[in-house]
Amino acid sequence: MSDRRDTVGIAGAGRFGTALGGVLARAGRHVVLWSRDAEIVEAIRTTRRNPRLPAAQLPPALEVTLDPRRLASAARFVILSVTSIQVRERARQLGAVLDGSHIVVHAVGALAQPSKQRVSQVMEHELPTLKIGAIAGPALPDDLADDQSVSIVVASAFDEVTAEGRRLLNAPPVLRVYGSRDLIGVELASALSGAYTVALGVSDGLGVAAGAEARTFAGLAGLGNLLVRASDRSADYALGRRLAERAAIDEADWPEGARALLAGVELADQLGVRVPVLRSVSGVLTGHVQPTALASMVGDSVADAE
Amino acid sequence: MLAEVERRVVARKVGDARGGGDASLEYVLNDVAYCEIRRLEAGNGRSGAIERWRDLSRRLLAMTEADKQEALRGLVRHYGRDVVGNFDPRVYRFATGIGPSLLGFLFSPTGSLREGVRAIANLDARIHADGEIAVARTCAERGTLIVTPTHSSNMDSPAIGLGLLRAGLPPTTYGAGKNLFTNPFISYFMRNLGAYRVDRRLKFELYKDVLKEYSTVLLEHGYHSLFFPGGTRCRSNIVEKNLKLGLLGTTVTAYKNSVRDAAPHKRLYIVPVTINYRLVLEAETLIDDYLAETGKSRYIITDDEFSRIGRILEFFRKILAHEGSVIVRFGRPLDPFGNDVTDDGESIDRAGRPVDPASFVRGADGEVTDDDQRDAEYTRALGRRLAAAYPRLTVLHATHLVARAVYDTIARTAGTRDIYRLIRVPPRQLTADIDAVLEQLARLRARLAQTPAWGAEHPLIAALTPAEILDDAVRGLSSYHTRPIVVRLDHQLQIDDVKLLYYYQNRTAHVPPEQR
Repeated sequence: MSDRRDTVGIAGAGRFGTALGGVLARAGRHVVLWSRDAEIVEAIRTTRRNPRLPAAQLPPALEVTLDPRRLASAARFVILSVTSIQVRERARQLGAVLDGSHIVVHAVGALAQPSKQRVSQVMEHELPTLKIGAIAGPALPDDLADDQSVSIVVASAFDEVTAEGRRLLNAPPVLRVYGSRDLIGVELASALSGAYTVALGVSDGLGVAAGAEARTFAGLAGLGNLLVRASDRSADYALGRRLAERAAIDEADWPEGARALLAGVELADQLGVRVPVLRSVSGVLTGHVQPTALASMVGDSVADAE
Repeated sequence: MLAEVERRVVARKVGDARGGGDASLEYVLNDVAYCEIRRLEAGNGRSGAIERWRDLSRRLLAMTEADKQEALRGLVRHYGRDVVGNFDPRVYRFATGIGPSLLGFLFSPTGSLREGVRAIANLDARIHADGEIAVARTCAERGTLIVTPTHSSNMDSPAIGLGLLRAGLPPTTYGAGKNLFTNPFISYFMRNLGAYRVDRRLKFELYKDVLKEYSTVLLEHGYHSLFFPGGTRCRSNIVEKNLKLGLLGTTVTAYKNSVRDAAPHKRLYIVPVTINYRLVLEAETLIDDYLAETGKSRYIITDDEFSRIGRILEFFRKILAHEGSVIVRFGRPLDPFGNDVTDDGESIDRAGRPVDPASFVRGADGEVTDDDQRDAEYTRALGRRLAAAYPRLTVLHATHLVARAVYDTIARTAGTRDIYRLIRVPPRQLTADIDAVLEQLARLRARLAQTPAWGAEHPLIAALTPAEILDDAVRGLSSYHTRPIVVRLDHQLQIDDVKLLYYYQNRTAHVPPEQR
């Protein structure tokens, strides 16, 4: 029986949660992966592969379960790895089985939908524990599945959360983990880097940094994320490329970066911050702006301000 | 309790000293000696006392570890006695048992018991207590209360004492500035009603450790306590947002110790309270301090004028002249981690589910863990909950509402809400049309009624018309302070003291300006 203090729980068997769980399990860590999808659970149990990320071979140290109580009892450290539209519902389900001793970090590189709040704000309300944080950084699921070296940052106001995150997620040589107390900065940088990745895909060359603490946006969660995502392996970047080709993309097929784009514009409006790149690209996303008009829109906006 | 404080502080300091550096006993003792020498020199202290501290400082390098521990023990005992004084739990129980008549006697100008009782009856009409009193009483029976009021006036200590009395809640211990203990008569009762002495001049860590440990031990022994989380009196009269927290952090420590002692059922409940004055005795000096940016943040009350008998009598004389002039509103108690509690005092998380408060201090295997940074974050989270509760618990008197309506009116005319610009306007030019003020007041009341998070009107004015509220407020604002704030001139109000007008309207500062 593995020690509870050395076990990592992952809520959500999507591509990132599965890839991260695989890396940790291959490094010898006991991992409990909770999914609500019985077919996924069965596939992992029988084939040791997740149909959502078939490239990743999952070792036996990765345990998969349909029961969130198993996750809560087996692990004190839990990663919430779901999509931005599932955050509140999944956090609420998780909250029903956790207590004040648990540590929960999220790996949602976007603002929560539909509230456009930071994910940790939703977690504060839905989880019983106050020890919450976020992980972010240039770690794509395919890279993790390939055991390529990546770095992430774990951020929280609680030193215990960052210390436990660094201890439990450290999986050399694949995964290197850094710590930060700037939870808000890491969340915003991570969410907006998804949005800017879409912009990069459209313009293939625009980038900007702004936020809670400027240094955070130049770190792993911001520019680090942006650099790695700017490739065809990123769904956000691929969306941008398709938008540039004037393809109409159904909302149901939007990746996280698309939702982060709209949320980022809304957040900027609330804060009174000018975000010409995001605003113009969101117009392309929603069909109000032609991709070819983007450069002049951004340029005019900058010229107006100066 | 003093022995317990001594044992814990010494054990912790000796344990920390093993890490060396700033935690070494040599450093700790030298810090005390250095700070005491500086304090005594600044205050022209006795040369003998200064020399004793210098002697300690000189001997440190030659002292053995055992000598240092003995010196530490002696200092902790000394400062512990200074804080605790002659507090006797038996006298405390007796004194609090006869609270009403004792307080009646104390607050009677002539001092006879009969008049004291009459004074209490009069105060009944002047000081109201309301809010979540029933839940607070349940929590007081089940565990220990930490009453955390807003802090506006030097008279907050007696006002909250009477508020607790009116609410049928137990009296509390509290830390009070050392200057309050100079009057032997008041000092005796304060001591035995649970007040402990805080000497703000002592800046070194060891003294703060003793103070915090005493507060922790009091809570563990079930003594209800009072902290002002805002620190010093609020100079601006804005409902407090940035809390200093201070001794509030001892609640997590005390509860953690109880859980470790296998007594997680010994619950602690933090009760947010607002003390709402129709008029504030020392408003002139407070707002001058604020505007001059001289209001300094401090840890706990130090400048309380409760020891000055004349000041107390003035306070009560003025209270008796103004119906319903103080209202103490109690909020729903929270646990030490900022969780709400049910009517039975059980903790529930932000989503409304039952949660075991003991789990917040436990590790992976259920063991109680020590982590000062974690506990400080818990206290900050609690502080955020308190800061969020205060506006909702704010009771707005006629004086606040009318001051806001008048301020909004003159700000519109002047084209600015900036007090520093308005101060420069010649007083004779600062006038507001009464009809415009009444319209502004009606709209303000309507907005308040729609937004409970901004607080509520005083129950006594809820049924009044805007004109009646204006009359009531102008009566108070023109007669209470040394010079009138507003004066009625036919169909206009003339503002004679815009700084005090600003002070009273600040109680509504969390209500955003109207969008028109």
